[in-house]
Amino acid sequence: MMSVSALRRFAFAFGAAFAFFYVVARLRGLALFTVYPSQGIVLLGTHRSRDFADPVLDFLAPEMYWYGWVASAAVGALVIGLVAALLPDRLSWFWARCVWIVPPIAMIACVYLTIPWFRM
Amino acid sequence: MTTIVLIVHGLIAVALLGAITHQAMAICAPPHAKPHSFFGHFRAIPAERFADAIVFLYLASWLLGAFVYLYFKIDIQPYLERDRHWHAMGFFDLKEDFVVIGLGILPAYWLCWRRPVDGQNDRMRMVLTVLLAFIVWWSFLVGHVLNDIRGFGS
Repeated sequence: MMSVSALRRFAFAFGAAFAFFYVVARLRGLALFTVYPSQGIVLLGTHRSRDFADPVLDFLAPEMYWYGWVASAAVGALVIGLVAALLPDRLSWFWARCVWIVPPIAMIACVYLTIPWFRM
Repeated sequence: MTTIVLIVHGLIAVALLGAITHQAMAICAPPHAKPHSFFGHFRAIPAERFADAIVFLYLASWLLGAFVYLYFKIDIQPYLERDRHWHAMGFFDLKEDFVVIGLGILPAYWLCWRRPVDGQNDRMRMVLTVLLAFIVWWSFLVGHVLNDIRGFGS
């Protein structure tokens, strides 16, 4: 059973790490799994249709990474959260700062990653 | 089926928008606002009572949105690309990113509202609530525009 202070450290570290790992996963294309909604297939890891079929046929099997990115971020954040929960309480201030500094920075990073859409 | 889920997703989003806006306004309102003023009314209802509902509504909205997204990818996105709605696609990408970041801060947000307040907690509570409010507003507006895109601006 986690103490209240350990739970707080876990929650704060999880929030910050989740935002950080999500941006990393999005930037590096690190999806834990890839979903092909039109075929109803889920493949472990990052896969691209164009690696297996002609790029002009890409529209027949659109791949989705978003779910995989979320899963990657969740796994990374869970590990960091558990580590934070095990660390001494005197580091609590650090996680508390992180949880309200990292997510807005991650959001700005996402805006940067989305810029190509606005240049088309 | 997808249309029904999309409508329920939208209705939950409306409830979430109301709750998070009320809470954000209550926490940002001046502490010495007159009781019968606009901000005073926000402060009249204890803002912490919204926290559980906001977490539940956020999760429900996210789950339904994640489900509908599968159909969006197959049925809607090809038309958006064909009609060159690149800005709409960009805004939608931002919506999915922001929503996930909001999902990650939900446990911290919930704890900030559940535990007794100290000086630091009070400030963190405010920052996380305003951040979530921004994410919910952004997502709601982008979702609404995308939902109506074939009639929007044409």
